[in-house]
Amino acid sequence: MPACIVKRDGTSVPFDSVKILNAISKANKAVGGEDMSPTDLLFVTEKVCRKLDEKGLKHVEEIQDVVEDTLIQYDYARTAKAYILYRAEHTKIRNAESYLMDIYKKLTYSPAIEEDIKRENANIDGDTAMGTMLKYGSEGAKYFTDNYILPKDASAAHANGDIHIHDKDFYMLTETCCQIDLIPLFRNGFSTGHGFLREPNSIESYSALACIAIQANQNEMHGGQSVPHFDYAMAGGIIKTYRKEYERAFVAFARIKGGMDAEQADRFFRGIRVALGEGVRMGSVDDYGRRMLDIVAAEDRELVADAHAYAAEEALKATERRTYQAMEAFIHNLNTMNSRAGAQVPFSSVNYGTDTSLEGRMVIRNLLLATQAGLGNGETSIFPVQIFKVKEGVNYSEGDPNYDLFRLAMETSAMRLFPNFSFIDAPFNLQYYDGSYNSEVAYMGCRTRVLGNVHDSSREVTCGRGNLSFTSINLPRLGIEAHGDIPRFFTLLDAQIDLVFRQLLHRFKIQCAKKVRNYPFLMGNGIWLDSDKLDWDDTVEEVLKHGTLTVGFIGLAETLVALTGKHHGESEESQKLGLEIIGHMRRRADEEARLTGLNFSLIATPAEGLSGRFVKLDRARYGSIPGVTDREYYTNSFHVPVYFPIRAFRKIDIEAPYHAMTNAGHITYVELDGDTCKNLEAFEAIIRYMHDRGVGYGSINHPLDRDPVCGYVGVLNDVCPRCGRREGEAVSEEKLRELRRKYPHMPTCHCR
Amino acid sequence: MLMESRLKSECKPEEKMVGEGVAFERVRRITGYLVGTLDRFNNAKRAEEHDRVKHA
Repeated sequence: MPACIVKRDGTSVPFDSVKILNAISKANKAVGGEDMSPTDLLFVTEKVCRKLDEKGLKHVEEIQDVVEDTLIQYDYARTAKAYILYRAEHTKIRNAESYLMDIYKKLTYSPAIEEDIKRENANIDGDTAMGTMLKYGSEGAKYFTDNYILPKDASAAHANGDIHIHDKDFYMLTETCCQIDLIPLFRNGFSTGHGFLREPNSIESYSALACIAIQANQNEMHGGQSVPHFDYAMAGGIIKTYRKEYERAFVAFARIKGGMDAEQADRFFRGIRVALGEGVRMGSVDDYGRRMLDIVAAEDRELVADAHAYAAEEALKATERRTYQAMEAFIHNLNTMNSRAGAQVPFSSVNYGTDTSLEGRMVIRNLLLATQAGLGNGETSIFPVQIFKVKEGVNYSEGDPNYDLFRLAMETSAMRLFPNFSFIDAPFNLQYYDGSYNSEVAYMGCRTRVLGNVHDSSREVTCGRGNLSFTSINLPRLGIEAHGDIPRFFTLLDAQIDLVFRQLLHRFKIQCAKKVRNYPFLMGNGIWLDSDKLDWDDTVEEVLKHGTLTVGFIGLAETLVALTGKHHGESEESQKLGLEIIGHMRRRADEEARLTGLNFSLIATPAEGLSGRFVKLDRARYGSIPGVTDREYYTNSFHVPVYFPIRAFRKIDIEAPYHAMTNAGHITYVELDGDTCKNLEAFEAIIRYMHDRGVGYGSINHPLDRDPVCGYVGVLNDVCPRCGRREGEAVSEEKLRELRRKYPHMPTCHCR
Repeated sequence: MLMESRLKSECKPEEKMVGEGVAFERVRRITGYLVGTLDRFNNAKRAEEHDRVKHA
């Protein structure tokens, strides 16, 4: 027996065999069915001590190795396993400090350009004070969740890359996202906690308050925020603005031409309005004018007719102008306002396209025009993500009331990448559609979709709902592990799905324990569905059930290569298997939803940080497998690999059926070069094909570059076609002055 | 007079240059969101963007 043992920090303490006996006893008690008597415990301890003597071991780690070996040698395999787990657990706790401190050092001392960890999320600037502060918090929270909150198997599965628990740093705190219905919010006015905002009364206030609502909600959730019907929501502001402009112009006309003073003119107009019983609307302004003539005295008719004509013309012009400015401000605000300790612009999305009222159309048209114009120096706006909702009979075909806006949307998208396009006519979206905005599918910018509702089938609606949390499965790893054995693949997949369901429920329980007071804006102002029925101290459990619990996946393409040698872009057989795999995942989600009454669903995971993480772990484990682990990323969700040459229509054919299966969200991209994309007919042909094939949500990517020096927007290869400089080169001021004569809207370069 | 004009031509200020070291901005779509510059992409997403081929 050694006289003393050497601890991890190098110090020595007297050897005490009772400590070994106690550790074995604890491990033994932790497992059932392998009970050791006191004699057994003494026996094993004795054997351990003898071995230590024989080998002259006295370091604590060596002693623990001997304990493990001895337990296994005497057939206490389960006790040995518990002992190993216990040991690993303590190692983890001991490593805690150094692990976290290493991360904090990286966050503090390395620029984002060098550290991937600071670029996990492309919309956070990891070089700023608040961006770094956010990362300190996030990394600390992840550590806490891993070691003290998560079930051990889920924590291990995340760490080793079997699954990925998204937004794990927010595990104890909140939910992902919400589709905000601005209409009731504005009607009642709202509070952000520091004062009450009354119902807005002009399009400018509508757009400003929309930004505030998005920002306030973003601060209470960990994902993005969307407005599912921006056209309908803003139209109210235009009605009010138009009415005021009409009244102002009418009164001005009456003063100048009718010789009235201000008070007389006001009273004159108010008299007419009260008699008509309602204010003027853009769509029925002519009728309003006729009805005016019916009620005024004969001697006033000429004046009223002229004043009306003038007011109708002026009001339309002024409202159009003010709406453009309001939309311009909306876009500027959403690209510049900050949330989350100032480190992040809100992840905002707006859906629109189906409101056929003149007011709704005015919103859409001006939002698109402001998007085309870009930000202050002509830059492309990054936010909000814009989604144009395509619907037959509304905007899809020539002759539809909003077809012109669909065309304008495509023209805008070809220029600025936004809007994307969603398709209400896809069967899985159409089944919910009844013509009301609340039945129209909306997508979050990242592609999340929330519409069906097993918890409450009478509330299969868009507004006031969102995703609660989601976790993705590393499909390619299962493909590798199955070694070409398809039934085995499905067995492995089912085990992962079981684990993810369990983990999602674990998180859901934590979320359910929160109270309305934890979400003063989201729940306190009644934005989340049914939260208006709750009191400040009620838990949010019941209303959260309207949200979705979602399982996701990445790398279907690599999975298929691992299983069959070919991905679904290159083989019909693989496509069949791909559909089987994703179809199976969807069936499992549906079953779980039926069993629990909760909205379990399947998403084609957006995967930003994840795209590199899984493949890195798998390459370390299995080496570089061609077509599977040999790139720096796994292919997004069910996409055909980005490097695979394929025609646009074929790609859409292959990806469309997966949209019907992924009820929690999906997107299909087509990549075009700059010139093709300028061809609006080609652009439209692709969007229409997406619609016809049952795609739910799609968009066209094209290179969109900009030279900040001369403001050129378009494709930039090596040399800027406008000012002739290479990237990084300088041009003369004289040359820029010359160019400005030709391009008067050229920005002034504020570059260093 | 002669003196003055010579001075002028000799002292013609060097032409001012703009844009030294200024990179082109490249907006790309990732996950669904747009990102204003490739600098903020993580390594995997940079690699993916680099590999993309056109579909027409």
